[in-house]
Parts: sequence; C-alpha cells; structure tokens
Amino acid sequence: MTRMVLSGNAAQAHAARLARVQVVAAYPITPQTTIVETLADFAAAGELAAQYIKVESEHSALQVVVSAAGLGARTYTATSSQGLLLMHELLHWASGMRAPIVMGVVNRAVAPPWNIAVDHTDTVAQRDTGWIQFYAESNQEVLDTVLEAYRLAEDPAVRLPAMVTEDAFYLSHTVEPVDVPSSEEADRFLPPRDARAILVPGTATRLGSFTGPDHYVEFRREVARAMERVPETFASVEEEYRRVTGRDHGGPLPLYRVEDADTVLVTMGTATTTARGVVDDLRAQGLKVGLAKLRLFRPFPVEAIRSLGAMVDRIGVMDRSFTFGAAGAAATETAAALYGSPHRPTLSGFLAGIGGRDVTPGEVTRMYRALLDDRASDVRWMDLEPTGGIVHG
Amino acid sequence: MDRTERTMIEIRFHGRGGQGAVVASELLAQAAFLDGKESQSFPFFGVERRGAPVTAFARIDDRPIRLRTSIDAPGVVVVLDPGLLRTTPVTEGIRSGGLLLVNTAADPASLPAPAGVRRAAVDATRIAVAHGLGSVTTPIVNTAVLGALAAATGVVGRTALEAAVDRFVPAFHAENRAAVDDGFAAVRFAPADAPAPAPVVPVPAALPPWPEGPVASIPSRALRTAAWRTLTPVVHTERCTRCNFCWKFCPDDAIGFDAEGYPVIRLDYCKGCGICATECPPKTIEMVAVAEAPA
Amino acid sequence: MAKLTLPDSERMYSGHAACPGCGPALAMRLLLKGLGPKTIVSIPACCWTVIATPYPTTALGVATFDNPIEATGASISGLRAAADALGLEGVQVVGFAGDGGTADIGLQSLSGMLERRTDAIYVMYDNEGYMNTGIQRSGATPRGAWTTTTPVGGSARGKPEAKKDIMGIVLAHRPVYAATVNPAFPEDFVRKVERAAERKGPRFFHVFAPCPPGWKFDSDQTIELGRLATDSGIFPLYEVDEGRYRVTRKGGALKPVAEYVRAQGRFRHFTESDIAALQAEVGARWEALLRAERETAAPEAVPVAAH
Repeated sequence: MTRMVLSGNAAQAHAARLARVQVVAAYPITPQTTIVETLADFAAAGELAAQYIKVESEHSALQVVVSAAGLGARTYTATSSQGLLLMHELLHWASGMRAPIVMGVVNRAVAPPWNIAVDHTDTVAQRDTGWIQFYAESNQEVLDTVLEAYRLAEDPAVRLPAMVTEDAFYLSHTVEPVDVPSSEEADRFLPPRDARAILVPGTATRLGSFTGPDHYVEFRREVARAMERVPETFASVEEEYRRVTGRDHGGPLPLYRVEDADTVLVTMGTATTTARGVVDDLRAQGLKVGLAKLRLFRPFPVEAIRSLGAMVDRIGVMDRSFTFGAAGAAATETAAALYGSPHRPTLSGFLAGIGGRDVTPGEVTRMYRALLDDRASDVRWMDLEPTGGIVHG
Repeated sequence: MDRTERTMIEIRFHGRGGQGAVVASELLAQAAFLDGKESQSFPFFGVERRGAPVTAFARIDDRPIRLRTSIDAPGVVVVLDPGLLRTTPVTEGIRSGGLLLVNTAADPASLPAPAGVRRAAVDATRIAVAHGLGSVTTPIVNTAVLGALAAATGVVGRTALEAAVDRFVPAFHAENRAAVDDGFAAVRFAPADAPAPAPVVPVPAALPPWPEGPVASIPSRALRTAAWRTLTPVVHTERCTRCNFCWKFCPDDAIGFDAEGYPVIRLDYCKGCGICATECPPKTIEMVAVAEAPA
Repeated sequence: MAKLTLPDSERMYSGHAACPGCGPALAMRLLLKGLGPKTIVSIPACCWTVIATPYPTTALGVATFDNPIEATGASISGLRAAADALGLEGVQVVGFAGDGGTADIGLQSLSGMLERRTDAIYVMYDNEGYMNTGIQRSGATPRGAWTTTTPVGGSARGKPEAKKDIMGIVLAHRPVYAATVNPAFPEDFVRKVERAAERKGPRFFHVFAPCPPGWKFDSDQTIELGRLATDSGIFPLYEVDEGRYRVTRKGGALKPVAEYVRAQGRFRHFTESDIAALQAEVGARWEALLRAERETAAPEAVPVAAH
C-alpha cells in the first residue's frame, strides 16, 4: 500500500491498472479525459499491459469493450455526459451480452446549454440499462469501488457491467490523499477474469443471437435475476476487500449518525461529505439528524432503505438530477421502496447542485430545517437564485 | 345482446412469403368492413422470407373486437400452399366443427385434418395462372382463395370482396375480381363422413440447457427448409460432366456428391431457387413442380 | 469425383433463413471457404442477423458475434484487441455488414477501424438497399432504382442520387488490401479472400450481393445477373494491394449495360436515355479504373548494368 495524492480521475486510472485490464477503449470528453490520458501514460511506461484502443466515438468505445469482453478480456473505458448518452444503445448490449465491463463515469451536466459541471442526469438516465451503478464520495472510494466493481461484475452469480461514477471536478479534478493498494494486494483481491460462457474461436457459437417472443423474456429475466443477486454478492466482495486492504465503504447505503435519529437525509456523491458536516453541526445543537449515502443506485437498495425507514420519522432525499414530469429519481425510488414497507416515514424530495451549483452547508441545513419543520414536499428546488454577474473568463 | 354468444369468426392464413397470405388477411378484413362488420387483420411478425412459411390472422365480428392476440384456436384455417400440409401443423388448435380450406387440385377428402373438421379445396393456382396473376412458378393465389372462402363460409360477401379488390389491390383489378369469382364458383367440399388422414405433428428439437447469456450453438441444419420449395431440382446424371457448377453456386449448401462425384440434392434444405439448373453448363438439372417431383 | 474448383470446407450451414437465390448467403459461404476455422464474424443488424437463424440455432460454423448496426468497425477492433490481449493464436476477425450498416450508418465506425489499422477483414455485402427491413433505399442504392422509399410513379422516378463510392472512401484510408468480389466468380472470390487472409492490418471487401426480392428478378438469375454486372462494367472485379490496382477480370469490350438493367424489375421504368446515361457513367468509371491500374503498376524491372 502506498499513500499518494490523487485526483478522482487518477484514482480511476490506478484502479484499472491494478485490475490488470486487458483492453482499454478511449475517447476524450471533459472532464473525463485525464483518466484515459493517465492510462495512456501507464501503458507507455510499461505499467499496464493492455491493448489500448483509441476510438472515434464513445459509441465505438463501448462497442470495443463489449466485443472484447465477449471474447473474455477484462476491459475498461470511461466517459461522461454526452458521451454516456451516445453510449446508451451499447449500454443495453453490454448487459444483454452479460459483459462484465467496468466503466468510469464522471458525472457532468447534459446540454443544452453546454455545461461541464457536475450533475447526475447523465447516469441517472441510464438506470434502466442493466448496469450496476455506484456513486462515489471520495477519491479513495473511487479507487476502491472500481476494484470491487470488477470482482462483483465478474462474479458468476452476477456477470453484469458496472459503472463507477464520480462528480465532475469535485472529485475528477480534486486531489486528495488516497491509499493505493500494491499490485500484490490487488492481485490477491482480484484474480484474473474467469471467462467461462463466452465466445470461443473455433466453435460454432453465436453470442447475441435473435429470438421471437418464445425466448426473449427468459433472457431478460436472467439479467433481472443477476441484478437481484448483486446485494448479497457485493456484501461478500466488500468483506473480501476489507480483509485484503483493511478498508471498506459501508455497503450499498452507508449510514451516519442514524442510531437515535428521527430525521435523515439521503444523498449521492460528494454532497454527502458536506452533509456529514452539517449533521455534526445540527447534532451539536441537539437535533436528532442523520445521513444515508446512496452509494449503490442500481440495483436500488430496497431492503436497506426499508430498514432505514423503520428507524426514523422523516426522510429527505437530495437529487442532483431531475426527471422532468416527475421528481428526482432517488426520491421516487425511495418512495417506491418504502411503499412496500409497514414503516413509512414522511418523505421529501430536494433538488440541489444541478449543473454544478454548489451544495453548501447552508443549503443542506435548509433541507434539514424543512424536514424538521415538517414542511414535506415531493419536489423542492433549492437555491434557484442565479449567482454571479456577466464576467468574461 | 347476449354477451356470451359467440359471433366472432377467427381465421388463420398459412402461406409462404411472396404468395400474398398477409394481403389476403388484410383484404378479408377490408371486405368485412365494407359488409358493415368489425374486423381486424395482422401478420405474425416473424422472419419474412420469400418461400418461408408465413402466418396471418383475421377476426370478423358484429361487435367490437376485444382481443389483440394471435389466433391459436381458429374457426377457419386457410392454406395458400398445399406443400405446407406436409411440414407445418396448419390445423393446430382448429375448433371442432371448423373449416380447413386449402388451395389444391387434389380431392378435399385427401386433406389431413383432425376429426370433426370440415374440409374444402379450391384450385386457386390454376385460377391465378389463368388470369395471369403472379408468375407460373409463384402465382399470386390470394384473391382466388378469398373467393372460395366467401363461398365456403359466408363470412364476407362476394360483392364486398370485389369492392375490396378494387380499393386496395394496386393493380390487375379485373383479373383479381375474376379470380374472386372463379374461386367462389370452384370450391369443393369433402363428404362429412369421409375419413381424414392425420395432420403432421411437428416434433420440436429439445432446447439446450438455458445459457446465462444469449449464446446459440445448435447448427441450423436442425431446421429443414424443404417447405420453402415450390420447384425441385432433378439431376439427370447421364449428361452430367461433374463440373461442380451446381455445388459452387448453391446459396444453401444443399448440393453434395455421391461416391462417383455426381451431384446429390439435399432435399431437406433445398429451397428450389433454380440457380443450379440455370448455371449447369450441359443443362442436366431440371426444375419440376414439388408435387410432381420424385420423393 | 467431381472436379472441385473451391475448397470443400463448409462453414455456413444449411437450414439458414435466406430467401431462395440469396446473394448475401452465397457470399458468406464463399467467404468462409477462404478462411480458417478460428474465424470470428461480427455481424450487425442486417439480413444476415436473420439468415443466421434464431436462438438456439446458428447457421455459421464459426464463432459469431452480434453488434448493433452502426458499430461493426468498432466491434472488430474490440475482438481483435481481445484476441491479441488474450494471446489467442490463429484468429481471423471479420466484420460482415450490409451496405446500409457500412456506407450509411456504419461509416464512422468503419473509418475509425481503418484509420486505427485494426488487423481485421471488413466485408460489405452490397445488396444496394435496406433489404431486411423491406427494400428501402440506402446510400449504396444505384441511381434510378425503385425502392419502397424511392417509388416510381407521378413525378418520382426511383432514387435521384448516385450510388455512394464505398471503395473510394475505403481506399482513401489506405487499407493494406481491398478488393471487389462477386459470387458469380467464386474462384476469384475465394482466391482474394485467401490472399487477404495472409495479410495483417485493415482489409476490405466490397461484395456484389444480388437480392431477388429487392431487385425484382427470378431467384435462379442471381449468378447470371452477377456475371452481367461485372462483364458490363457495372461492378468491375479488382483488387488494390498496398495501393497497387489490379483488375482481375478483363474480357474484351464491355457488354452494354442494357442487358443488366432490363433483367431487373427495379429498373423497369428506365428509358433509353436513362440507360445511355448509365452507360456513359459506367464507361467513364471503367476507364478511370484501367488508368489507376496503369498508374500504380509495378515499375518495369530496371536492368542493372554489369560491372
């Protein structure tokens, strides 16, 4: 283990290097680009023995790794925003082909207007594609989760693709100390890919195929079942990671100071760190508040949410994206999870941090205050006042 | 009205890609509409290939139709190509007392069907050829068959069918109307007490163990495409020079060789395209109608 | 025994779901005769998606990979990369795509694959339209042809635009080897495939692939039509090996294009002046091809003076 000061993007690249990925497909997009640049440097320096394929689009980037994974290779690619949207078709191919790809995604707003700052619309819009989705809070978590994601994605019980996301700039370009496992530790945790049930040259097998109504639904059901097995499999993967590195990140829904809490806010990504500070401040004022981090968004941690719902009176959910015509996706999914539970706390949805707007301690405090004042609402747009004047540069 | 009373007639068409089965079901629905009925028609959305078996459906009722499913218990089954009787379970699910109508010159009493099913025949191929509809190898038989269906069932009137032809068939209106009339007049029934041969019962190949991903691995030789054929190549080896032209040009790899090197047609797979006959330099291969081909 | 003029290996199975007389089916059969057992074929949405038969059957005796319509170039780059990364020996990676999936929606991915020098063979089987979806025009549909989206009647007279020059586009990327092939000339077809199989780097085939239902001709005429296409100069047979052109079938004078045109229902509306215009276009293309052959010919061996 070495302690290094790394950006989130560098953490992604180090994790891919430690995973000994065999095929990397690369296409630039801000703010992802430094991931594939770093990987290019690793390859040039002989620290990464991968086929590094420079493609002409994100669509092709994902196709390259879908095809390479079909032949049994361990693969990595990364993208952001528009690039992820262009990949949408191939996201379905990846899960349908049962390709255990791991992809880094830097969460960035979707145009128009052009905006390269953080926003979760890009990945939230891909929640129906059969990919496992992790949202990271720190660069350490980025690195660790990428390694865990390979183990999880390749597990015979799962065999699905996974994306590990990080907030644009707040992680992608923020440097902070990260413990980087040694190659020996990484190898101990992550053995070479077990590539059974893939395309074998020299055999008359067709991966993909086509079907009518007679078989199609069975294949979809297989993907659904694999998703259902993720929580249990991930628990053992994270336990193994802790055994090797001494570290874990608390499962799919890590909780903070919820033991005797009556009010809890659910957050995703970097806003969690700020919210944790606010919880400490409000606790110091004697308020019984806590925090839950939605680390795993797909599959949605229904059981963990229900357990949380049984502990508290009020839940607020902060979304960094909006589903037009409905509400924040995390809020609606939380509501759906609680509907099947006998314990249904009051639920409120908050929209904050859209398009890179800072999620400040003051704003998080206002969310807790709204909850504590029992001013619940499905959708509350936070901090709508435009900031700044007209300044060039 | 008594909602339990069954007034809906469900008709299933079996034909081959290119024969007009789908158009037949549409024309029937249009004609029924012109007769003031509620109607519905749709093809089975599968692989549509010229010569490949295709299925189409039609429903006709006096009341609004409240079903949007394929028809698995038809009251009437219409077969546009008699070759399908040998390969496709066309009468599967047919209702007791239902009707099987086949385009064939053969005696309707020879048609295979489950017990209790009425059988009728019309030589729609002869009618279509006589009116110049389609080609001799691929006649368009649908309008003649519909004429026979009108006569045999009364589900639509002949006048409505002719009006539908005029409105919805793009060309050859007079010829198609004449084909409707001739089909109407030419339908023949098997005597109710005539015993029927048993219909084919397909034995589906067993599925392999379910793979976690979509991996197909059974060679397509398990699928016979013989039913696609309307013409069969017959090799007259006496003039054959064993030049391999028939073999090398076959898109279906349906030609092999016997021990002496003469071509052998693999009839399970030959689709009857005729390339071998056309390309054979000494013209030793003859394309003959399937019904007349040696077994 | 019969005198076989082609390899007797068969890696395309009978029972496939192509129409009778299908040019693309014969093209696949001939292609695989020129390739080894460890071939991997990546196929986008096209006629061959269906021809290869539904789950759980397959019409190909080699490993086959499905990819979406616009991504064949990328798919074969990925398969090649994985084969190399995994150290798989003797693997030949092939993309087998239609003209729409290549020259229209797949052009970007094809360009990428050629530009990054993927060691793979890209095959475009050209049935000159979107035939699997029911005969719609593509960029590769020839000028004047009837399709369901370029009707004939009223003021419409088939496709107004010219056929896209896919070989020109590909050759601008300087592949190591590119050739046109036609199932009507199977020995030439397989010889070129065998030649391409020995090379490393991006290779490309433009396959003439007649479609009886789409072009409106009888299914037994597929080969005859192919012969007419090449011998009239509509689809000349040539290869470009490291930039050097070689026309692989040259008879005497070209046949008039009229016979080719008149053999197909999709050109039924062609007038004499339509045919004359096509004749002029074909003649000019043929001359340009012969010129390219002359200009890229190997220099005459220069005699070396004894000393």
